[in-house]
Amino acid sequence: MIQEERESQLSAMFDGELPATECELLSRRIDRDENLRARWSRYALIGAAMRSEPVATARSGFARRVSAALRGGDTRVRASRGRKMMLNAAVSASLVVGVAGMSITLLRYTAAGGGAVASGQVAGGQVAGGQVGGGQVFSGEMDSAAAPSRAPGSGAVPGNTVARSTAAGSTAAISTMASDALARRASNGEPVSYVTPASVDTANTALRTELADFIVAHSQYSTPLMRRNMLSAFISSDAGSDFAPSRAAVTASPSASAAGALHATFAASAPGH
Amino acid sequence: MAATADTLTSKNLNDGSSSGMTGLPMVADASDLSLVRRVQRGERGAYDLLVLKYQHKVVKLVMRYLRNPADAEDVAQEAFVKAYRALPQFRGDSAFYTWLYRIAINTAKNALAARERNPVSYELDTHGNDDSSDMVGRLKDPETPEGLALTEEIRDTVNHAIGELPEDLRTAIVLRELEGMSYEEIAASMDCPVGTVRSRIFRAREAIDRRLREVFDGGLGRTEELV
Repeated sequence: MIQEERESQLSAMFDGELPATECELLSRRIDRDENLRARWSRYALIGAAMRSEPVATARSGFARRVSAALRGGDTRVRASRGRKMMLNAAVSASLVVGVAGMSITLLRYTAAGGGAVASGQVAGGQVAGGQVGGGQVFSGEMDSAAAPSRAPGSGAVPGNTVARSTAAGSTAAISTMASDALARRASNGEPVSYVTPASVDTANTALRTELADFIVAHSQYSTPLMRRNMLSAFISSDAGSDFAPSRAAVTASPSASAAGALHATFAASAPGH
Repeated sequence: MAATADTLTSKNLNDGSSSGMTGLPMVADASDLSLVRRVQRGERGAYDLLVLKYQHKVVKLVMRYLRNPADAEDVAQEAFVKAYRALPQFRGDSAFYTWLYRIAINTAKNALAARERNPVSYELDTHGNDDSSDMVGRLKDPETPEGLALTEEIRDTVNHAIGELPEDLRTAIVLRELEGMSYEEIAASMDCPVGTVRSRIFRAREAIDRRLREVFDGGLGRTEELV
């Protein structure tokens, strides 16, 4: 009796005359019941025969094969989504590594004393303004909960760019300040302000910079070019070359000009070094 | 009313004319649209029902282009998969089968073009069929004598079963399948409740289906192929 009622529902559903709620329940039943599936298919055949429509009997399980093909397609979609997520993660990681590498390089220039970028002392929470050969002075503060002290004079720079950022975002702030400074200097040829550079513990900075170089040179996340550059720089440094970007430059000319530092840097980055 | 049903039955079942793509009643379009909407809401089971409903027609349609029944089934399957993936864009401006028909035709044409571009694989496919599979294909190909006989037998069985139906059942099923009337319209036409119409159509189908199963079970023994 229940089966007959179900088949009656099937007939009504075939004609689109079954309420939606019943359709939903019956659909789930049809999915499991081969008898109902076969009956549904035969109802279609009966109608086609009545209308003298051309029909061809498909092999057994045709609809199941279509369903399986659709499931396979969905699996492929899921797989491609997974690959896309992995790709996104890889791109994100590459960006993070790239930014980190850039920040380390910038810090290295700063430690050399000749960069036209802000001098930063992240560990101490202090950013010292530096005047280098008439270059732009920046004073930035990278907040640190451990040591929020401010370098003398850093806040007194008029019109300078002060970037407040957390330690994690400090590299981006430095990059922004650097590009901003170069643009400003290019516009009128004159720096916005001059300040007396704060005292910098050159030895500590040089050590940190060397450590940063070492990390970049040996990190698996560094690009081969960057590693090669760093290793070349180390070799040059050991040989007492003027092209050494870090400690050699600091010790040789702590007040080197920005142009000189950049020259040394690009020379060290050039192929063959 | 009975005279109307008889007239329609004899006209449509015996003249052998193919109504083809446009032969579907409008109400069938509405019921298809209901299934399509459910698929678009994420119910894949509803698409399964559309496949079950149209597989015979789509396979036959594709067979016009690809004479090999096995190839035709593969292409028909591909057409259904394409249709499923394109279904979110289906707005219901045309009947579902009209839309599916175009997809199937295009898929068949593409398959034919690909086969012409790659005759080696076609040759391999042709020679790859062993005798048994070729026999199965011939049995199902409606263009072969066996296939034509099968199609004819189905039609005769259905026709005969309809002729044996009580008049109220016959009228209901004819108005539904040939005129494409809704249950409500049939109820108004037959002056009976909608529930009675539903019952009559169901019983008519059951009677025809019983005869059809007898034919397949007894004669051809291929009932499962209708699934």
